[in-house]
Amino acid sequence: MGKKVLVVDDDPDVRLFNVTVLEEHGYTPLVATNGEEGRNLAKQEKPDLVILDVLMPRESGIRLYRELKTDKNLKHIPIIMLSGIAEKSFLRSQKVLAEFGDATVPEPEAYLEKPVEAEELAATIKKIIG
Amino acid sequence: MNRILLVDDEPDILRVLGISLRADGYAVLTASSGEEALSIFARETPELVITDIKMPGMNGIEVLREVKNISDETEVIIITGHGDIDSAIEALHYGASDFINKPVRDKQLTIALKRAQDKIHIKQQLREYTTTLEHKVEAATREIRRRSNFQGKLIRSSNDGIVATDEELRIVIYNPGAERIFGYPQQGVIHRMQIQELYTPEIVDLFVAGVTQEKGLKEFPWQETSIVSGNGENIPVRFSGSILHENDRKMGSVAFFQDLREIKRLEHELLKAERLAAVGQTVAGLAHGLKNILHGLKGGSYLVDLGLKKDDTAKLKSGWDMIKRNIGRTSELVLDLLTYSKEREPEFEDCFPNEIAADVADLLAEKAQESRVEIKKSLDPAISQVSMDPRIIHNALLNLMTNAIDACLFDEDTGQKWQVAIVTTLEDDNNIRFDVSDNGAGMSQEVRERLFTSFFSTKGHRGTGLGLMVTRKLVEEHGGRIDVISAPGKGTTFTIHLPFEAAGEKKTKSSV
Repeated sequence: MGKKVLVVDDDPDVRLFNVTVLEEHGYTPLVATNGEEGRNLAKQEKPDLVILDVLMPRESGIRLYRELKTDKNLKHIPIIMLSGIAEKSFLRSQKVLAEFGDATVPEPEAYLEKPVEAEELAATIKKIIG
Repeated sequence: MNRILLVDDEPDILRVLGISLRADGYAVLTASSGEEALSIFARETPELVITDIKMPGMNGIEVLREVKNISDETEVIIITGHGDIDSAIEALHYGASDFINKPVRDKQLTIALKRAQDKIHIKQQLREYTTTLEHKVEAATREIRRRSNFQGKLIRSSNDGIVATDEELRIVIYNPGAERIFGYPQQGVIHRMQIQELYTPEIVDLFVAGVTQEKGLKEFPWQETSIVSGNGENIPVRFSGSILHENDRKMGSVAFFQDLREIKRLEHELLKAERLAAVGQTVAGLAHGLKNILHGLKGGSYLVDLGLKKDDTAKLKSGWDMIKRNIGRTSELVLDLLTYSKEREPEFEDCFPNEIAADVADLLAEKAQESRVEIKKSLDPAISQVSMDPRIIHNALLNLMTNAIDACLFDEDTGQKWQVAIVTTLEDDNNIRFDVSDNGAGMSQEVRERLFTSFFSTKGHRGTGLGLMVTRKLVEEHGGRIDVISAPGKGTTFTIHLPFEAAGEKKTKSSV
């Protein structure tokens, strides 16, 4: 049984791709299709890593990211952001939120912009959780 | 002081009268014959002549006639013999101002002179008055001419088309501005045309009613309309007019026309420019959607490679499906972009709008079923075959119904029995109304405001933000409009009103 990696993405193609890459490299994928599902699964399963999309309908990845990073039981879980949004746009959004009095949260362990190569994704995961 | 020419063949009388007149302060010239009198008169033109009637050679009457002939202004007093009434009357007939009888008495002379002087004075005043009057009339005429000239120039140089008529609605003023708009040369219009030959029937009706009916409108405020020019071109104009009155009498009518061709062209250009700018913004905003598609294609290729390497048909198939799905998304995106950036005239043709609505509902039946959404149709049987652009109806309904199904998917109330309804209604003889409603997620005011305006989507990886922009553009090109009502948690209704022509009337409707 490999390490548990939670994939949160509304795009079924991305989920399938991520899951396949994870399985190919011996990890155990967990799948959530939106932020709410992702939060519940993270609490239940205490995954070793979360791969999170930024833009999702209903509940955005930004909100889930900030929740995970400020939850004392979950904030140690490393997060890879995987998004069509450029990294600097994401970082700027975090800065703006902090300036508006929200908590300052650490940067994600890795930020990958779509499209991403399978090898790059696998290498990034390996670097973080082995 | 008046000068008097005294004429008498008797030197004594000349002397005595001369002394008497000089004593009264006159300058006196004397002549002892008619001939001499005329030569002095010609030289000196005195204001008064006193002449004896009976003289050898030229007599007093002849002197009178000659003097009057030379200068009508000169007063002539005739001295007649006692009881010579006939001569006196003849003298008066020829314009003598007075006559006195011989022997000349001072008192009589004074009275005659006073009368003559009064006459001279009155004549002088009259002359001065007439001269002044002539000057004034001349000045007034000049002023009127100047003003009319000014007004004429004003009318001629006005950029607006100005057309005025008499009370019979015959055209009397038609300026170069009007010439530019209507296209008929001035000489063929002024005094030659009635407004019926120049204006469209709607404008003609206004003026005819204004002139003939007591209660007809007398002022027509600015309004946008169009006229048909001499070469048959439809020209958009702003128009205003009024019926002209003087006191209670109708004088005619005047109408002003502003050529809107340039403005319309600019508006059109602006619209195009705005749309291109929106496409630019869109492309920037599209980056996210494009990256998702690329990611899908790469992911698909990865799965296909994996499937080939491991001889795993399941992986191969899911990879291939992923590629196909993302190719589909690419083509939708590209088509939307093309539709949005390109101008297209609607192509009217005979079609059955209800059938198109039913087709779209069928097309989406599978997707709806997968999403546990029920599609309801309510199609107005009063709608039969009409002339519209079926592609626009199809595109618009397909987009709105897809959105409606998506709205149900985004609804958090999973216990809900979701429905999407398509309703068609024959609004009147020219318009069909299409309602697409759902009882899904609904929209906040913020989302509603941004709906059509920018590159905006709430659909995460699936939204390009182009769909409603394209739909609105198509609807507007068809001369229709699109409205939306929505409440968060309750659902959304999009309404499209589209005009139609009677079936069989193939026509291309202008987009402006």
